[in-house]
Amino acid sequence: MRIVRAISKVVGLLQAFVGGMSLIFAFLLFYDLFGVQAVLGLSRENIELYMLIFIIFGLFSIISGLLLFYE
Amino acid sequence: MGEPHLKRELGLLRATMLGIGGTLSAGNFVIIGHAASLAGYSIVPVVFVCGIISLLTMFSYCELGTAIPKAGGEYTFVKVAYGGFISFITGWFEWLSNMFYAALSSIGFAYVIAYIFPQINIPLTAVLIVITFAVINIRGVKETGTAETVITALVLAILGIYVLSGWPYTQRTQAPIMSFPTGLLGIFAATAYLFELYLGAEAVAAAQAEIKNPGKNIPRAIILSAIVLIILYTSVVYVAVSVVSPEILSKQSSPIAFVAEQVMGPVGGILVTVGLAIAGLAATNEAIMAQSRVLYAMSRDGYFPQKLLKIHRRFGTPYIAVIISAVFTLIFAATGLVNFVVYAVNFGFIVGFSIVNLSLIKLRREKPYMERPFKAPLYPLTPIAGLAASIFLIAFIEPTVLILGLELSIIALIVYYIKMVGYHRIRIAFGGMSLGLGAFTSFLAYLIGTKQIKLNGISPEATTAVFYVLIFASLIQILAGILNITTTSD
Repeated sequence: MRIVRAISKVVGLLQAFVGGMSLIFAFLLFYDLFGVQAVLGLSRENIELYMLIFIIFGLFSIISGLLLFYE
Repeated sequence: MGEPHLKRELGLLRATMLGIGGTLSAGNFVIIGHAASLAGYSIVPVVFVCGIISLLTMFSYCELGTAIPKAGGEYTFVKVAYGGFISFITGWFEWLSNMFYAALSSIGFAYVIAYIFPQINIPLTAVLIVITFAVINIRGVKETGTAETVITALVLAILGIYVLSGWPYTQRTQAPIMSFPTGLLGIFAATAYLFELYLGAEAVAAAQAEIKNPGKNIPRAIILSAIVLIILYTSVVYVAVSVVSPEILSKQSSPIAFVAEQVMGPVGGILVTVGLAIAGLAATNEAIMAQSRVLYAMSRDGYFPQKLLKIHRRFGTPYIAVIISAVFTLIFAATGLVNFVVYAVNFGFIVGFSIVNLSLIKLRREKPYMERPFKAPLYPLTPIAGLAASIFLIAFIEPTVLILGLELSIIALIVYYIKMVGYHRIRIAFGGMSLGLGAFTSFLAYLIGTKQIKLNGISPEATTAVFYVLIFASLIQILAGILNITTTSD
């Protein structure tokens, strides 16, 4: 049980980290920092859609990670 | 020693300044230009009437604030009167509206600073402003009140100089303020448009748990702030249309600064621009305080995690609620997403106004013997008139605003439902979502690994790194999903 709890905490933390990175990436995409739009070959018309995907991915990951961490 | 509580440290002056400062913002003085195109010279009585309409609802705030002097403002009133989803959605809109208002005000100030110092980064400046006022809010409600008092006094002084300098023009010009060049529809449209001038005075209610001698000071602060704002806005607009015609006023990006420039020269324009920028700081400070108290109150009643109830042992402030609210505000201020939801500010406050008036009526009928240090005069005319005015204003809101309000209501319903469903089921739901996200990420990694999606802008080594990062992320998601789904219920 304690091992499962410890694994849950680690996995939860990593998942929240992945979610955080996703949100940061969405921010980089929106402001086209470091030329990410050109690097990924994304058209300007679809940027908001990609941003929405990354934000939803990030938020769900963070919430799920926190649920695991605070189990 | 017992658990720390919110401290009653706000006297009448600080509470009144909260009401005034929370209402003043640069945006308010900008919208006067467009309103002048809708109502012409009769913008002056329109501004006055908007203030009277707002005052009707403020009487309801006075009665409920003194009868229920707990943290949370409108949310707490509606919780006592109705409870359930109605109170949740009131608190939800109150929280969101104050959050958007704080973000908007900080961005507005950053834009003005960027006008003077073009090299500054606007989102970063807005973020720094939010952080500064979050720290002040954590430091103590007295410090928040003092900051609000100083900033608001400065803004009032600048606007006072503007009014005094321009007042001779009112005697000279004798502007035809009682003419109605655009007809009744134009007047109604201008009234609905200008309603937001007075949004913010109810901030006193948000801080009611921290006001000294609440039975006396809450109604005094609310009514005083409403009266000061009515006099201020009416005189500012009267001077404006006396100096320049409404047609010229409507074409200016900063109408009041333009008028100040005509009256006092370039120095006047700069002085008013700086004054209005500072007003944005007062609004940011008040909105951060208000949103944190609503979050605190909703946690008190179990809608949000209990951790948000924590009061700082030394400062006596709900510091976790302040931090969480500030983080969300930062996201909106930094990303500019606030531009999509700016209209929700008005909608949220109008919903709050309507429900507060209804709560007053319900409590008078169902709890007539509840202690009420202040009673709204001319009951039931005042809450009915306040409610009618709010409904009237909703009729004139743009359809896009109503749609956005509906979308936010649906989100509120989902959040409320999640709270009612229970922790265990939520974990299972998130477990399922994590599995889905893990499968999606694996598929994406497969497409990149088999070169069906080409990342042309980066080297093959970097593409490989992206592939392994995606594999790692998908493994974490799948593992998290399994752990959440296999959780045992409490």
